[in-house]
Amino acid sequence: MQGLILSGILISTYLMFIAKRMSALTRVFALQSFFLFLATYIAAKELGQLDLYIVAGLLLVLKVLLIPMLLGKIINKIKVSQDLGLFINAQISLFCALFFTFLAWVFSARLNIPGSHTEVGVFAIAFLVVLTGLFLMISRATALAQIIGLLAMENGLFLFAATVSGGMPFFVEIAIFFDIFVSVIIMGLFVYKINNLFTHIDVNKLTRLKG
Amino acid sequence: MKIFILILQLAWFIALAPFLSGFITKIKNNIRMRKGPSIFQPYYNLAKLFAKSEVISETASWIFRVSPLVVFSSYLTASLMIPVFILLKPFSFIGDFLALIFIFALGRFFLALSALDTGSSFSGMGSSREMFISSLVEPTICLIVFSISLQFGSTDITVFSGMHTVSIAAIITALSLFLITIAETSRVPVDNQETHLELTMVHEAMVLEYSGRSLAFLEMAAYIKQMILFFLIAQIIFPVYLPGPINLVQIFLWCLWYLARITIVAVIVAFVEVAVAKMRLFRVADFLGFAFILGIIAVVCAVMGV
Repeated sequence: MQGLILSGILISTYLMFIAKRMSALTRVFALQSFFLFLATYIAAKELGQLDLYIVAGLLLVLKVLLIPMLLGKIINKIKVSQDLGLFINAQISLFCALFFTFLAWVFSARLNIPGSHTEVGVFAIAFLVVLTGLFLMISRATALAQIIGLLAMENGLFLFAATVSGGMPFFVEIAIFFDIFVSVIIMGLFVYKINNLFTHIDVNKLTRLKG
Repeated sequence: MKIFILILQLAWFIALAPFLSGFITKIKNNIRMRKGPSIFQPYYNLAKLFAKSEVISETASWIFRVSPLVVFSSYLTASLMIPVFILLKPFSFIGDFLALIFIFALGRFFLALSALDTGSSFSGMGSSREMFISSLVEPTICLIVFSISLQFGSTDITVFSGMHTVSIAAIITALSLFLITIAETSRVPVDNQETHLELTMVHEAMVLEYSGRSLAFLEMAAYIKQMILFFLIAQIIFPVYLPGPINLVQIFLWCLWYLARITIVAVIVAFVEVAVAKMRLFRVADFLGFAFILGIIAVVCAVMGV
């Protein structure tokens, strides 16, 4: 079961690299969050902790349902083209993904994590997800991709914390969720306003200010 | 006894490979509410082609004459390398799993070369497309081999037949191999076997100049290649432990089981082919890129041991 979830996270992470359309990217993000939810739920069932159940529930409600819906709404509303604005095309992004995988693996293999190959693998995947978020933020021109990049990084950090210390403290977790949700709303509004003002959401063109 | 088994395996491949193709066509037609040609149509075609005389272009060199035989024999050799009925490796002195890939590549190389030989613009286009696709396919096949070898600790092809369990790595490997098989057997999202339409011409364009016996050999080679790939998929998803000792009753049972497994794969292929639309040639890179990703995930999963 754990293997299934891990490979699911891995597949959705690679899909993020090759997504060319905004709606596809949001859906892939929802998929990744769903696998994260499954992982948390299973951990909660094993440990029998109420905290973890609540965290899993929040993951499901916020990241799998609410945030992708919100972003989908924004995409529909601003009526720009679905194009993400790839600086680096899908195939080369894929090669970057391979490089990141290698990097994450070497990094986590050096850390002397106790446990089997699987633990090292989970750590590497968490690191890969963080790098994916970073890559998305750097290499995609539209503001929406930057939001999803940030969210993907957060997903990676969640997985990170889960492997290193069995999850963050409960209140920290709740605070992070709240933070994420509010920031997505604010950034969504921001994207909407940018679009109203400039009629596009390409972050590169923002340097040219309109009087 | 060993020789007998080998001859049996060879006969099995030659006798059954056209059937598989006819079977897929039949299913596809039935899904589309058509009657379609008989399951045995490929056999009739082959018989007809063998009886016909051959027309060879005046500009063709010896490569054109030789390559149908080279292609045919290379796939036949490949079929001998995988253990089907018993754990026997008659051709293990040639090499392991990686050698299988390169024997495949040999056949493909000669096919592309012979298509260029006559100077026909259509077959030249076909071979250029084929090389484009195969340059994307081969890295993925290598990844698939690495994944399987990591799971079983050896690149020997017989290890692969001693599989017991279906792990997640194995399932993802099979998925990746499935996408590759669709490209390799020139099926719908990549190519179309049914038409001679310019847009879809990859394999069909390459064999355009051939007629008679040579064409029969090339078609037979394509059928055998298809059967090998289907068998590999079936072996990964429905693993069977092949026993060492030789026993005629058991071999008969394996034959039935083998047929059942391959049929399941063929049905899946037929359904996929009906459901999917033909892709633009440059979208094929995305399609095969996805297969490549799956291959990498399979390797990662195999390293993690899940």
